[in-house]
Amino acid sequence: MKINKAGTQSNVKVDKRHQELENQLRRTLADYQNLERRIEEERKLLGKLSAALLIEKILPVLDNLETAQKHLQDPGLELVVKQFKDILDSEGVVEIEAEGQTFDPNLHEAIEAEAGEVDNKISRVAAKGYKIEDKVIRPAKVVVTKKENLNEQSKSNEKDK
Amino acid sequence: MSKVIGIDLGTTNSVVAVVEAGKPKVIHSAEGRNIIPSVVDPIKHIVGDVAKRQMIVNPRTTIFSVKRLMGRKYKDPEVQRDMKWLPYEVKAGREGMAVVNVDGKDYTPQEISAMVLGKIKADAEAYLGEKVEKAVITVPAYFDDSQRQATKQAGEIAGLTVERIINEPTAAALAYGLDKSHAHTIAVYDLGGGTFDVSVLELGDGVFEVKATNGDTHLGGDDFDAHIVEYLVEEFKKENNMDPSGDKQAMQRIRDAAEKAKIELSTTAETEISIPYLTADSAGPKHLQSKLTRSKLESIVGELVEKTFGPVKDVLKDAKVDAKAIDEIILVGGMTRMPLVVERVKAFFGKEPNKSLNPDEVVAIGAAVQGAVLTGEMKEMVLLDVTPLTLGIETLGGVSTPLITRNTTVPTSKSETFSTAADNQTSVEINVLQGERPMAADNKSLGRFILDGIPPAPRGIPQVEVKFDLDANGILNVTAKDKASGKEQSIKITGSTGLTDEEIKRMTKEAEEHAKEDEEKKDEIETRNKADSLIYQAEKALKDGGDKVPAEVKSDVEEKIKSLKDIAPAGPIEEVKTKTDQLSSSLSKIGESMYKQEGTSEPDNSKNAAQPDGETKSDDKKTESADVEEGEVVKE
Repeated sequence: MKINKAGTQSNVKVDKRHQELENQLRRTLADYQNLERRIEEERKLLGKLSAALLIEKILPVLDNLETAQKHLQDPGLELVVKQFKDILDSEGVVEIEAEGQTFDPNLHEAIEAEAGEVDNKISRVAAKGYKIEDKVIRPAKVVVTKKENLNEQSKSNEKDK
Repeated sequence: MSKVIGIDLGTTNSVVAVVEAGKPKVIHSAEGRNIIPSVVDPIKHIVGDVAKRQMIVNPRTTIFSVKRLMGRKYKDPEVQRDMKWLPYEVKAGREGMAVVNVDGKDYTPQEISAMVLGKIKADAEAYLGEKVEKAVITVPAYFDDSQRQATKQAGEIAGLTVERIINEPTAAALAYGLDKSHAHTIAVYDLGGGTFDVSVLELGDGVFEVKATNGDTHLGGDDFDAHIVEYLVEEFKKENNMDPSGDKQAMQRIRDAAEKAKIELSTTAETEISIPYLTADSAGPKHLQSKLTRSKLESIVGELVEKTFGPVKDVLKDAKVDAKAIDEIILVGGMTRMPLVVERVKAFFGKEPNKSLNPDEVVAIGAAVQGAVLTGEMKEMVLLDVTPLTLGIETLGGVSTPLITRNTTVPTSKSETFSTAADNQTSVEINVLQGERPMAADNKSLGRFILDGIPPAPRGIPQVEVKFDLDANGILNVTAKDKASGKEQSIKITGSTGLTDEEIKRMTKEAEEHAKEDEEKKDEIETRNKADSLIYQAEKALKDGGDKVPAEVKSDVEEKIKSLKDIAPAGPIEEVKTKTDQLSSSLSKIGESMYKQEGTSEPDNSKNAAQPDGETKSDDKKTESADVEEGEVVKE
């Protein structure tokens, strides 16, 4: 087919252009397929995720109701707290176990370290953590014991300023 | 061809983005966040949010801000200064370079950063569903060769080929597409979590050159938070006569509330800070409750904002440019969301800064754009257009029926089946319309043609398929085809997207302004069409039913038909509605009585109406019910 020199050249040029466009098409198709896959995944996630986002926002209210109950010991308020927890329960929201457990940064956020008998035990819970299935909505905010001396702690405070 | 990801490897946080289908997109982490804290525990091999959560328990093994040590000598005064407050051990390693020592093992800053990059790589692979091997990484403009080299090594340790190391301000400029603009001198104001940088760039032949850079390595959002916390503690003290600063849990809650208030005040003028049961003394529980206004916040942190303008003035002096000579200003970093910062920057340069992109993500976006340029993905971008206005045809009663709605990406095509409006109508006129208004007369007619030769049939029976095909150049092909006879007619309209921006703006605005009255007008027409259609249907039912229709039902229906007919074309609309409903219920009696005798049914045909001059009727679902049974008509 390629008879004369000029023809060869222009064919080479066309081939190159052809390749460029084909690349472009492949890339676009790949992007499109990826997008489809991701939309499917996100659609599955979305329901759960949007619930998790809303729950995360209202958790501080539950925290405060519980703290209030601790102080007031009011039977009516007790019911309100229970009602709140029942709803969370029905949505599959589970409280993260913390007190007395070994500190696990996947589930807990350390807000303070204090001297103790053993390393990495959770001595107190400042705010409860919650998860929905395996997804942590909010890590539990905890105080963790450390066997080491308090020297380091003071340094960590500085950093935390 | 594998993607090149763009990484903003930050002092406190890192962000990763990629270009897909010509658009940069931030990739979220496995935890579902767009930002990954640059925090690493090299012993337990944990990175990001999880590592950050154990920082207080393991201050000596949780490494953060390692970027401050990257490619620096141990003796470097910066390193000496930072060592004083970093809780982990920094020492001199090979060739006197600063390294961190964790549990007796030395790690270079490269190795630590590589763990952050490794997580980024894994997250990007999970997102893209393919291997990621190449990256563009950003560094501060002031990074020297050694620091750049170290950053590149970090990428390589993580298994990434670093295609290019680019400056953070340059990435920000790329993200805004300023390489293609006429801007000559650009200032980038970057106020992040812990550092402030300001740079002046000059653009020549599509390449950015950093003319000068300046900043403050210890000024950022954290300082703003600290100021607000201080203020809240003072307020609490005044109110309650007790100092909460010894109570770490209380302080943690105040810090969280301070950051939340700061963020809220970027969009609202006033916010309520309330922390119930913050602490307690013998007298009982103490709550923190305080109103913070934006102007109060501005007075608390005002001095910090002012502090940034020292470096800004210096950078201009070094670059030998006047503030007024800067063509474009870009805002980077989460703190630039604060209205006071925007305002002060604007006042200083006398120009509106660029802030439309997310300031936390703009650097990573620019890096991704650079990556796409390197793969050639950006070289020949097929720019896909969208139709700025809706395209449709005129249907019964002068209604504009859309086929291709506005903002649809072209090329695209769409077809719908329409029918006739009158018995034995043999032609339909297709009037191609452009615009957002519901009534045809208010939109722009792009062209019209007539399809004739439709075999005579009762209204609603013929099927006319109208197909719109809009190609990438904005050329619109409209074809109308009668399915029974196979007759076809078409028109080619070339100027369909050739509207000026002003025209599009005007038409869109008009549509918004007239939305309510247009809707009413359309409703009215639809009501009249429905009445008309019902009359037709009722007359047909009487005719078809003949003797089988009981006399009293017949006279009732006839009477109702007559009274509706009188007002249907122009009478008061409410009355038309009522009478239509009345006729409809009387009509159903025909069906009932006929059922008793025989059992044929007459489906509702509400949208059909007599239309003398051959206009088309919108009815796309007709195909399903069309040739089911003799005498059956289109269902709406």
